[in-house]
Amino acid sequence: MIEYALREHAPRVLATLARRYGRFDACEDAVQEALLAAALQWRDSGLPDDPRGWLLTVASRRLVDEFRSEGARWRREEHVQLLDPPATEIAADDDTLTLVFLCCHPALSAPSQLALTLRAVGGLTTAEIAGAFLVPESTMGQRISRAKQTLRNVSARFDRVPEFERPDRLRVVLQVLYLIFNEGYTASSGAALVRTDLSSEAIRLTRMLARLLAQEPEVCGLLALMLLTDARRLARTDVDGSLVPLAEQDRSLWDRARIDEGAALLERVLGQGPVGPYQLQAAIAAVHDEAASDATTDWAQILTLYGVLGQLAPGPVVTLNTAVAAARVHGPRAGLALLRKLESDERMARSHRLHAVRAHLLEQAGEPAAAREAYLRAARMTASIPEQRYLASRAARLVVLSPSREDFSSHGGFGTGRVRP
Amino acid sequence: MKYMILMFGDQAGMMEARSLEWIREMIGFMKNMNADLVANGELVRAEGLTDASQAITVRFQDGAPVPTDGPYAESKESLAGYWIVDVESEARAIEIASRVVTFIECPLEVRQIADRPPDV
Repeated sequence: MIEYALREHAPRVLATLARRYGRFDACEDAVQEALLAAALQWRDSGLPDDPRGWLLTVASRRLVDEFRSEGARWRREEHVQLLDPPATEIAADDDTLTLVFLCCHPALSAPSQLALTLRAVGGLTTAEIAGAFLVPESTMGQRISRAKQTLRNVSARFDRVPEFERPDRLRVVLQVLYLIFNEGYTASSGAALVRTDLSSEAIRLTRMLARLLAQEPEVCGLLALMLLTDARRLARTDVDGSLVPLAEQDRSLWDRARIDEGAALLERVLGQGPVGPYQLQAAIAAVHDEAASDATTDWAQILTLYGVLGQLAPGPVVTLNTAVAAARVHGPRAGLALLRKLESDERMARSHRLHAVRAHLLEQAGEPAAAREAYLRAARMTASIPEQRYLASRAARLVVLSPSREDFSSHGGFGTGRVRP
Repeated sequence: MKYMILMFGDQAGMMEARSLEWIREMIGFMKNMNADLVANGELVRAEGLTDASQAITVRFQDGAPVPTDGPYAESKESLAGYWIVDVESEARAIEIASRVVTFIECPLEVRQIADRPPDV
């Protein structure tokens, strides 16, 4: 698998060059060109004996050409002595980490962090990233070069992140990886396959990070969360792409290997260091994944875990999920009571999730009319087509007698056009 | 997040009411605007439509589709053009729309495109 080999080697090659020559943007371009050249050449002649060495040599040559073409400006500077001989040593793990931190630099916007991480660390081509995010390749190319420009402007260098900054920077990195994962964790659109690739890519990168930062329990927590969530992918959508809620999923479709790996990982890190939000969310996912059915799910334990999460990282989404768990343990009214706290929360004002959860709980509480209204409100607010369909169908189930459909052509707004011959 | 920014208006009426100078400036403004969106890596697509008087409305009449000449609703409420941008936040989409509104002094509509992953 050529693409796989390329993606594996890309960050090490780039880190080697960036450490040696310092100019991250030029190095990144050179590596990207080397990857494209490799994709073409290796397809015909097969993988070379030393793929990483091959990439490093080709990328170094491109970089030297680039420096030479810049001419006198570079010759005057001391960098020129670095051009000979080409870089051969392979970057240490620490350099790969430096690269990850640089791509998730806080000066960059979230879309730029995602794009740059996928290209520089993930080794994806601009076309692949553009395809995954459904934007034109030129747009993505521009976004990446703008991101590199921003790094230049803030004088962000390819240097080891100082110890005192690392917790904050790591938090951003984990967030970027989780965003990539979630971006891919969807199906049912024409682009389903490409997007699935994003989830796999996020898992691959987090796996790499977990290997480099084995002492950070939250990195393993995030990896476990991704694995335990991704395990349900096949069961999550119907043959026609419509959403299947957790309670109704065919659990025989869940990926046992992923669940086992995620659960083992979690077991290993829990208690190893301070517990964090990713570990807790993974623990909740594990409780779901290990239940044989929805009915036998240990909701009391889930409620306890959400309680801890609410202490550690309070937020409206945690409250919302706590309400779901409380409803399962103490009945729908208990859940609805918790939701009332969120009604005045500004952060939930534009979110459909509050209404979706309320709709479910109202339905369970035996209030179909109010439930229907909440489902329809949630359906209007969501920005996800499969979710919109799901919510609308839940609302439709609650209709005993459908009102007569208003004929669209009778709407007054159509003006008075002349019938075409 | 992707947003569609829709511009409504009566192009024919605008051409009559505005000075040639203003129209030239407007064209320059739109060019700059799009160039900035491209440079930021935010532009997905932008299109201007032909005048609403050229519209064909396909209606549903007596159980069949019937194409009719003429615009939908009032021409000043008709779609004149649109941008699709991929931006970090809703606030940024509003900022882009505001820049256009400040120039053309007509309302624009900002609508999120439904391309988010479901999160139930």
